[in-house]
Amino acid sequence: MHFIDRRVVLITGKGGVGRTTVASALARAAARCGRRVLLTEVGYPEGGPSALAAQFPGTQMSETPVPIGPNLKLCRLWARTGHEAFLRTILPSKTLIRAALRSKAVSKFLMAAPSFHEMGIFYHLFSLLEEKMKSGKFAHELIVIDMPATGHTLALTALPRILLRLIPGGPIARTVKAGQAYLNTPTSSEAWVVALPEKLPVTEALELLDGLADTEMSAGGIVLNRVPPDPFTPEERTALKAHFAGQRFLGEVALHRIDDAERARNRLADSPAKAVVSLPEVDDDAAGRSILVEALYQQMVQS
Amino acid sequence: MNPAISTLLNEKKVIVCCGAGGVGKTTVSAALALAAARAGRRVLVVTIDPSKRLAETLGVRRNASEPIQLPADRLEAAGVKGDLWAWMLDPKQVSDDVVNAFSKNEAQAKRLLENPIYRNVTAMVAGMQEYTAVEALHGFVQSGQYDLVVLDTPPSRDALRFLEAPVRASAFLDRRIFNLFVPGEGGIIRRMATSLIERVMDAAFGKETRMQLQEFFELFGTLLNHLNQNQAEMRSFFTDSSVGFMLVTAPNRDALSEAMFFAEKTEVTLGMNVSGYVLNRSLARQGGLTVNTVANLHPEVDPVTRSAIGKLAPLAAREQDFVEGHVGLARNLITQAGPDGLVWVAPMMAEGVNTLPQLVQLADAVLDAKGIL
Repeated sequence: MHFIDRRVVLITGKGGVGRTTVASALARAAARCGRRVLLTEVGYPEGGPSALAAQFPGTQMSETPVPIGPNLKLCRLWARTGHEAFLRTILPSKTLIRAALRSKAVSKFLMAAPSFHEMGIFYHLFSLLEEKMKSGKFAHELIVIDMPATGHTLALTALPRILLRLIPGGPIARTVKAGQAYLNTPTSSEAWVVALPEKLPVTEALELLDGLADTEMSAGGIVLNRVPPDPFTPEERTALKAHFAGQRFLGEVALHRIDDAERARNRLADSPAKAVVSLPEVDDDAAGRSILVEALYQQMVQS
Repeated sequence: MNPAISTLLNEKKVIVCCGAGGVGKTTVSAALALAAARAGRRVLVVTIDPSKRLAETLGVRRNASEPIQLPADRLEAAGVKGDLWAWMLDPKQVSDDVVNAFSKNEAQAKRLLENPIYRNVTAMVAGMQEYTAVEALHGFVQSGQYDLVVLDTPPSRDALRFLEAPVRASAFLDRRIFNLFVPGEGGIIRRMATSLIERVMDAAFGKETRMQLQEFFELFGTLLNHLNQNQAEMRSFFTDSSVGFMLVTAPNRDALSEAMFFAEKTEVTLGMNVSGYVLNRSLARQGGLTVNTVANLHPEVDPVTRSAIGKLAPLAAREQDFVEGHVGLARNLITQAGPDGLVWVAPMMAEGVNTLPQLVQLADAVLDAKGIL
């Protein structure tokens, strides 16, 4: 199965590893081969400025997809939008739907009651997945989600199972089952864990893969981000260590990182992670981002 | 010791460490706690999601019902004397404790703890997890067992939820919302709203789940008076001058602007006290080293080393740029912090901070914080 034929790709990982950068670059790489790609993030009403919108200067984040490039749109997953879709699914009459949408009590309840925020996000995602164009084709063939930090990711991927345990039947359960089918089928969705090429981050990424497996989310693999270039032969590295023995010198941090990255790669090669994609360390500017798009295009989209 | 650091470590009752994900809040919290313990205070560090090895170093484990004291012999082996405790937050457990402590009677507590809605989803209630963290923190401070509690918070977006928890939880814990679910008396508008929500719920979940929800709301509602009372108390607790917020940032522009956004929010919107900033994993103190080039090598150096030094030179030059960049960021923070504010430039530790000796080394660096360099 080709990566590019997936419908949903979740980009997750601990804070500070570059999830947003990787998610944006992957969306651009996938859009390049003609797929209609929607790049999204999970929105929180009290959240600060959007990290994802910052990657595309001049763009405003909203719950409606806006074009940001060829075959590429951007929006946030928004609980309230999902709640509206949800009320439309479950309520029998238009009058009741209107009353419910207007009711402050109902909307307050939906934002605050147990797991309803996640359910709203889930519903919004599901309605975007199902959205069709006039031609009958999917409006968004591939949805890339820049997921929030680890705990929230697991809360979201575990949600279908918890909901189905509580509510085994009815229209909600049908929608949840359909959404769960997307998320738990490796051919339609995958989660990729972004990690830095250092010891602890790699350990944590492998733990997160286990956590995802527990929620039955299919795991794509690990994106090793910010891998430093290694210009040295093994002999040269040994020689440097001998030369500087015990002294502090400029470049020691760089050398350490190269050692760490090599160990990280070796560890991942022996780990159960299905695939490992390596991204070089680049500057945080347009040129740097293009390098990441190219690297992801070659390693994930084309292969 | 720098007077601002001394005030922080010797006088505050609570230090809250905040910052974006991945900037090293847990490590900074642990180092500050260790430094304060060394200064003779009884210190508890409350962590939320430590790495496995740091958790082992601190001796914490999930589901521990009480804070665990770091054994004196382990501390002494690392050259430290002090009274240091650690605890890992378990939201489910704190929430259960709240239920047990504040339900009307044992039977009601039991019914709530066994309610399927409570058991499956309470941890996911908006604001609930954060609320329980605040509750736990408050409990530790009130216990009088510790002179100082250092709190490591979730990443800042979540930490905002956390700090606003006393306010936010009220949306969920709003009695009016609860009343809508509990059948009973009420005016025509309320009865209409109740019946609308019941129809929404029945259509969505079926009657059985709706009734479980109602039971959940009814039982939880009895906790409300207590929680609402506590809310006001906790808001004043957080804004008290004995509570200091330290904003931790990584040495890059994005993390820095997030820290400043957060500081603004903390101080202006929430009325809490920002004590200062920590520029973590910084190379700013790495200054004064020169770049080695092939040209200044001793003539007898062998060709392999020579070639290696040639390749190292650009990396070293880049590192020197970083050093200068980090010094610039530190100056920014110093301006931001103002004359009384504290800026701790915490060094990059090449081997990471996971073992006790490494933590001690970082805590040493706290004590010689001298503003910028």
